Amino acid sequence: MLEIFFLALQRSTLVTRLVKQGTGRVTLGIGDGANDVGMIQEADIGVGISGVEGMQAVMASDFSVSQFRFLERLLVVHGHWCYKRIAQMVCYFFYKNIAFGLTLFYFEAFTGFSGQSVYDDLYMILFNVVLTSMPVISLGVFEQDVSSDVCLEFPTLYQQGPRNLFFDWYRILGWMGNGLYSSIVIFVLNVIIFYDQAFRAEGQTTDMAILGTIMFTCIICAVNFQISLIMSHYTWIQHFLIWLSVLTWFLFLFVYGMISPTYSKNVFQILTEALAPAPVYWTATLLVTIACTLPYLAHISLQRCFQPMDHHIIQEIKYLKKDEKDKVMWKREKTKAREKTKFGFTARVDAYIRSLRGRLHKKTHSLKSKDGNPS
Amino acid sequence: MSSNTPSSSAGGVGSADSAAPRRNSKRPKYSKFTQQELPACKPILTPRWVISAFMLVSIVFIPIGVVSLFASRDVVEIVDRYETACVPDNFRNDKVSFIQNETTNKICTRNLTVPKRMKQPIYVYYQLDNFYQNHRRYVKSRSDSQLKDNSSWDDVSSCKPEDNANGMPIVPCGLIAWSLFNDTYNFSLNNQQLAVNKRGISWKSDRDSKFGSDVFPRNFQNGLLIGGKRLDPNVSLSEQEDLIVWMRTAALPTFRKLYGKIERDLQPNEVIQVTLENNYNTYSFNGKKRLVLSTTSWLGGKNDFLGIAYLTVGGLCFFLALSFTIVYLVKPRRLGDPSYLSWNRNPGGH
Repeated sequence: MLEIFFLALQRSTLVTRLVKQGTGRVTLGIGDGANDVGMIQEADIGVGISGVEGMQAVMASDFSVSQFRFLERLLVVHGHWCYKRIAQMVCYFFYKNIAFGLTLFYFEAFTGFSGQSVYDDLYMILFNVVLTSMPVISLGVFEQDVSSDVCLEFPTLYQQGPRNLFFDWYRILGWMGNGLYSSIVIFVLNVIIFYDQAFRAEGQTTDMAILGTIMFTCIICAVNFQISLIMSHYTWIQHFLIWLSVLTWFLFLFVYGMISPTYSKNVFQILTEALAPAPVYWTATLLVTIACTLPYLAHISLQRCFQPMDHHIIQEIKYLKKDEKDKVMWKREKTKAREKTKFGFTARVDAYIRSLRGRLHKKTHSLKSKDGNPS
Repeated sequence: MSSNTPSSSAGGVGSADSAAPRRNSKRPKYSKFTQQELPACKPILTPRWVISAFMLVSIVFIPIGVVSLFASRDVVEIVDRYETACVPDNFRNDKVSFIQNETTNKICTRNLTVPKRMKQPIYVYYQLDNFYQNHRRYVKSRSDSQLKDNSSWDDVSSCKPEDNANGMPIVPCGLIAWSLFNDTYNFSLNNQQLAVNKRGISWKSDRDSKFGSDVFPRNFQNGLLIGGKRLDPNVSLSEQEDLIVWMRTAALPTFRKLYGKIERDLQPNEVIQVTLENNYNTYSFNGKKRLVLSTTSWLGGKNDFLGIAYLTVGGLCFFLALSFTIVYLVKPRRLGDPSYLSWNRNPGGH
């Protein structure tokens, strides 16, 4: 709920502090003049309006807009998108680093815990910098669960942020668990597939460099495939960057393998000579990629079926173009998604009446379903 | 309120319009990229997509699994563990002293029976267990520059403790080379020698680029402790294929390394006599030694796991596709049904 105060001078700073400490909520202060600088800095989010009264408010603020009416768009569109983007980005970062890092630890159990890394150093350096960073950055920049006009039509979607539906412990631990599961699948499947026997028709057996490269290929493919399942808004940029990340890995292996063995050591010609001609390399990568992402796919399908969230329903309405076919329904839902709020005493009375109405609605709802009437 | 109204963050004043008709508009130039209105594909996980995805995976994976399993079943493998059997009875209680004693007879005869027809080439491997070639100190203990080029023959700094013997650098230095496997195998069938081709068992890139043809073993196995095989100082490193194969450190404590190839078919129930020299000391650390004869398929050696894993994942996906079909039939949720919106489900409060 937004409660808006219009106040003058230093009182605005003190009132903001009072609201922050008293209610413990996130406060936003908006102002356009030099007298608002105190309040803007005191509030958790400071919005400055550039214009008639100069640039002081803008320079002190976290966000600045040019007109007061843009505040609605700032909150409801950009605030909503930013929350989801950041939440998804952070969860994904944890996931991919856990999936990669834990395989190193599992390998230690097989080296007598001596600290030998199964991956070449350059693989590990490039992992977070080049090979898996571009898709997630494009997710953080471009991801939209619903388009901007829908955000403005359904301001209730903004509530997903204050209610912290996308960065609660369930989600964080779920993603970490997904990373743990992926790391186990990647490691165990690769170790058993490439255990001691030959991996090519010419009879050669795997060594540490080959196993490391195969495992790393599986990680790159699994992690990039996973992010393609997270995204819901695909521009050409996201598409391109995901493919580019995977291709960069193979290109890097190829180029690194071309450098003299003084620098490339065990990776010298590993792709061209050892791995690319071996069918088991490609089949193992495909198997591990799918095995890692299958639980996530099953989970989101189930969630979408039984516990769809608001933005899922709205996405479906838009996808099936029901908003154009059934304009009455769309208008009705739009009005329900916004409510006029007054401040102070009347707001509390309103809220109480609403909760009573809700309880009554639930009671009649349950009575109806007990009678066997379809709800 | 027009949806094209731009709003910007942190630096609100945009660039001035060049051809502003009325007053001086500061509206920034419109571009789909900056207004986040790039054309986009927004796929939705409808029931049809979910079931199709799972079915596609199972349709692709199950045949691959069957093919892989058949390929692995076609491979014929003979495995013979010999490290305990090849120690004479009187030394069974003290195998370490047996193996370290230079005078004891290390020659051992084993008989292998061919279970099924084995088509050439038949690959001969030695398999070691509990041997940690992947230990960090072991892996570090080599000098690639020395192996590559004769001019760096004395670059032994990374090879400690096997860097110098009697004050002179060792070529090839390091623990890996020092512990070179030295059991030998001789095969005969019906009293006729079976030739083992020991050429071409290492990676070509190793022979050509990592082990120089101008580098010769020098001062090798000259110290107090002998770790393994002795090398012929007249043969250059690029032709010492046993060494090249051994220097490729294995990933796991159980590993096989290629010893040679038998280029002749073997018929079922033939008995091969193996005359092996049990030289290598695995008794100090409870290691095991095995001799392996194996054919290969297009997938490699004998390992059913890939086929089984593919079948498992494919079967699981098929099962998931069926379950989701049942779920969507029994408890369907109409797509885009506004009664599922949260303000319709609990209208009391947000």
